Amino acid sequence: MSYGPIKALRGVSIEVNEGEIVVMIGANGAGKTTLVETILGITPVEKGRIMFMGEEVTQKKTEYVVASGLCLIPEGRGILPLMTVMENLQLGAHHFKGDTSKNLELIYRCFPVLKERSKQMAGTLSGGEQQMLSVARGLMSAPNLMMLDEPSLGLAPTVMKDLFRTIGELNSTGYTILLSEQNACQALRYAHRGYVFETGEIVLSGTAEELMHNQRVQQAYLGGVV
Amino acid sequence: MEIFLAQLINAIALGSVYALLVTGFNLLVVVGGIFPFAYSHIVVLSMYMCWFAMKMTGDNAAVGILAGVLSGTAFSFITEPVFRPLAKRGAVLGSFIVAMALSLIITEIMAQKLNMGIVISFPQTFQGKEALIQFGTATVTAGQIATIVGSIGAGLGFFYLLYRTKQGRAFRAMGQSPFSARLLGIPIVKTRIYAYLIAGLLGGISAVFLAMAIGTASSSLGDNLALKVMAVSMLAGVGNLGGGLVAALILGLSEGMVLAYLPGDWSQAIAFGMIMVVVMIRPKGLFGTMA
Repeated sequence: MSYGPIKALRGVSIEVNEGEIVVMIGANGAGKTTLVETILGITPVEKGRIMFMGEEVTQKKTEYVVASGLCLIPEGRGILPLMTVMENLQLGAHHFKGDTSKNLELIYRCFPVLKERSKQMAGTLSGGEQQMLSVARGLMSAPNLMMLDEPSLGLAPTVMKDLFRTIGELNSTGYTILLSEQNACQALRYAHRGYVFETGEIVLSGTAEELMHNQRVQQAYLGGVV
Repeated sequence: MEIFLAQLINAIALGSVYALLVTGFNLLVVVGGIFPFAYSHIVVLSMYMCWFAMKMTGDNAAVGILAGVLSGTAFSFITEPVFRPLAKRGAVLGSFIVAMALSLIITEIMAQKLNMGIVISFPQTFQGKEALIQFGTATVTAGQIATIVGSIGAGLGFFYLLYRTKQGRAFRAMGQSPFSARLLGIPIVKTRIYAYLIAGLLGGISAVFLAMAIGTASSSLGDNLALKVMAVSMLAGVGNLGGGLVAALILGLSEGMVLAYLPGDWSQAIAFGMIMVVVMIRPKGLFGTMA
């Protein structure tokens, strides 16, 4: 999957290969959210192309992109607080054709608390649980590519650790993940490759190893030497 | 006592149709993203279509009902493109103004062109005035029973759709957060169109029951109903589907009872009075906005 230049993002080009976890690090406003929203068809593309699984989806409507197997777990979770956990999950499978019970099994295995709370209003869940619900909802559609925008935002450190571990586990079962994170430290630990964003441009890219040992990355995002 | 019961049944019949109207109205608010002031006018126009159909087929009730229901659905469907750009921009006030313009056009059409502006009366047989149940001097008519049962049935059907089906979940998701709905891949425009279709269907069904319950229609009925629908909606909390039902019954009951015991048509004043009280004391409505 690759892009060309996009407005508010200048000359941005990224690639995600099947089975990878690719992370985008950078401060707030660096353009990471704009990019994932553009991929999904929410923000229009001025110049450039979006290719997904061999098909061009640049000008396609969001519903088409999602139906093709892309999903976005947005910053701030995007769950529906006035609907139950189960209903939120069912919405995640809106485009999924077939029996969803296998998807539910996987979800309940990763996030047992969601099974307990399946009849509760999503708004009554804690921050960490809502994040789990958001990820679970994405999983309900068995996506070919999951994009997560700042999943660790507002989460307690232990919860954050669990979340990243789960993301790593999902990847090892075959999920391709594009992750956007301010918390570079944890993210790079699990990722294969990464891109560093600054004010709408990509300033660095490489394997997670390379980025972790890069001085600039260490100074700016890892708080000194790792 | 029997008179009181008879009036009560009447009031319940009226209230149940209001509930159906408010449900359609709320659906357009919540999923359509507009303020559908012209909804009641479309309903009254459907009543006219029902009347015409029966006039042309020698008072054939089945044809009349079909005409009413189909025209309600069709008219609502036609208005969707008009409101689409407004809904997209979230221009609720703008949609209110456009809806008012639409309502004026419909009212004029009815006043000038339909039956030369004369009040239309629905055939007695259609109104179902035969008494089915009698207790003492009071009676419950077939029409009243049909109205109550039918409205409850339609209402239940709608709630089943809303809470137990995939499309219903999509409706509620769109109502709560269009952005989240979009991320889930819910087709925004298509979903809105479905909402207009279903609201139109509910409107058409309401038109038939109104014909039974009120027995007549005129060009001014649109404004009259629109006011009451707004009153119920605001009393409950605009968009609140569940609360709307309760509030509709409250209005229907108060209107029915006042009508029975006070001279003159106080019904519009009651509706307005309720809006006034709610706006001053609990602007979000008794049950809060958004269900």
